[in-house]
Amino acid sequence: MNWRRSVVVILRLALGAVFVYAAWSKLRQSWLLFAMAIDAYGLLPQWAVITLARALPWLELVLGILLLSGLWLRQAATFATALLVMFFAIMLRSYAKGLQIDCACFGFGEAISLKTLLRDGLLVLSSMALTALAFRRSECSAETIARPT
Amino acid sequence: MNRLLLLLCCTLAIGGVPSQNSKSAPPEIVKTVGVFTAPIAIEVFSDFQCPSCKLLYEKTLRPLTDDYVAKGKVYLVHRDFPLPQHAHAREAACYACAAGRIGKYEAACDVLFRQQEAWAADGKVADTVCNVLSPSEAKQVRALAKDPQIVASVDHDLQLGAAAGVQKTPTMVITYKNQRYPVTGAVNYDLLRRFLDQLLTK
Repeated sequence: MNWRRSVVVILRLALGAVFVYAAWSKLRQSWLLFAMAIDAYGLLPQWAVITLARALPWLELVLGILLLSGLWLRQAATFATALLVMFFAIMLRSYAKGLQIDCACFGFGEAISLKTLLRDGLLVLSSMALTALAFRRSECSAETIARPT
Repeated sequence: MNRLLLLLCCTLAIGGVPSQNSKSAPPEIVKTVGVFTAPIAIEVFSDFQCPSCKLLYEKTLRPLTDDYVAKGKVYLVHRDFPLPQHAHAREAACYACAAGRIGKYEAACDVLFRQQEAWAADGKVADTVCNVLSPSEAKQVRALAKDPQIVASVDHDLQLGAAAGVQKTPTMVITYKNQRYPVTGAVNYDLLRRFLDQLLTK
């Protein structure tokens, strides 16, 4: 196993676990708690808040499982990066505006802070690295990265 | 009508003595509304100088009081959590607690939130609160605001908030059947209402 493949395996397992944990922390509680946390960002109308609060945890769960299993790695990594960049941008905006709100990243009760921004920034970088490596077909195909023999 | 009902609830909650008129009432009783035995308890950690707290108070806590507290479904506890970056928040909390000692907590809260921008800019907290009181009440509140017991009650709330993991204001800690749900920010009333209804049907 070369170093690139090792990095890809570590990144996809770590990110997969993060997504599964994020989904579990929301799904074990009422979706309305997540809806209130999304609403506090003040970006979406109520119908969109409700839709997102119901759908996002399941989306995170599917994404986490795909990353852990290595199936459709390129698509999963690209989507995870897009999602994490969006989360990071929204959190950064809220922090810059001084909004006193819940991050709602992993459960509830954790306010947006430098710590949460650094953690999310690290996840964005990891996901970008995973996406870039997954697309490097010249070295190893996505399939061989996903399912090493 | 609602105020009468709330007064009745407060009276029931402390065994026949209206808490807001009792000078010797423990600090935490001064700022509670509703029946102590209500199935849901909500502690609101709030800062009078914080704009989101004003929004929560005006858009969410008022309808919550009418729809849930007055009907005995929710026991509401106000907790002071003045943030260090707000120069006059602590003073405002002391004046609100002092007003609470003479049964005027709600009036003090109303005026402090309504005129938040003005007193936050000029620092005239005492005048803002005293403007809604009679001259004798104002004199009492000015003296009480400096009472070490009042100052201690604000500190006590701050400690409770820190112990509950409160980092920002407003934070509501909703307790139902020993399960605690922290909710931060100026929560939309419609979503909160749906959440409370969901808890009550569990």
